[in-house]
Amino acid sequence: MNCSKAKVLMSAAIDGELNLKEEFELTRHLDECPECRSYFQDAKKTKIIIRERIVRVKAPQNLVESIVRMTNITAT
Amino acid sequence: MKEKKQTINAQEQLKQQEFQQEAVAHINSLYNYALHLTMNPSDAEDLVQETYLKAYKFFNSFERGTNCKAWLFKILKNNYINKFRKNAREPGKVDYDLIKDFYHTIKDVQRDTTEAESDFFHSLLHEEVYQALQSLPEEFREVIQLCDIEGFTYEEIANMVESPIGTVRSRLYRGRKLLRAKLEDYAKKHGYNTEFGE
Repeated sequence: MNCSKAKVLMSAAIDGELNLKEEFELTRHLDECPECRSYFQDAKKTKIIIRERIVRVKAPQNLVESIVRMTNITAT
Repeated sequence: MKEKKQTINAQEQLKQQEFQQEAVAHINSLYNYALHLTMNPSDAEDLVQETYLKAYKFFNSFERGTNCKAWLFKILKNNYINKFRKNAREPGKVDYDLIKDFYHTIKDVQRDTTEAESDFFHSLLHEEVYQALQSLPEEFREVIQLCDIEGFTYEEIANMVESPIGTVRSRLYRGRKLLRAKLEDYAKKHGYNTEFGE
């Protein structure tokens, strides 16, 4: 496997979406390629940073209440 | 006749109870997704409200045991396309002022997560990461949001965006590559010599 293909697989590996064969091939490549090992570590961090740095807000209370109310009204 | 009416009410009550447990539980995720799509809190509220109204109406068609959050996201996305897409920004154009304003609107609102320290990227500001993500072409941004922020599987994402799993995989790879380059630019501005090692 060359490094380009390994990088494509890494993206899916981070998400736990590789099949066994791909996982085996990628592991074998990573064992032999320090550059890809380093790239893989950084790729994992990119995923983490997206999750951590994107601000999540709570839905406004009035919205929550109106939806609960809506189901109550529809149910009666 | 009266008995029949009571049975219907009992059924409806059960549905209502199940809906509140299964569907309303995901309201924060839906609201956040709607915010990122519309970039406007009022539009986001409307979108979420309409999504729940439709979801409740068709709750009987929700396949029990599957991911309710994914089902709701798909409804929301379809609603968004029907309602807002016509006025959406042109592909490839990024309105940085809009992003900045939007970010300031939402960042004072109560946060939903605790922030963890994360080494080499720690110089990056929330706003920069958001800007980098928003500047990606929509097809890439969408899958990254659904995968990295919302935690959907490739199969669920494929179903939502109505594309094969292979396409989702490839969009994620290409989107992350672009995103990484943009984040590296920001890190450089903060004095980091990226090749992102620590």
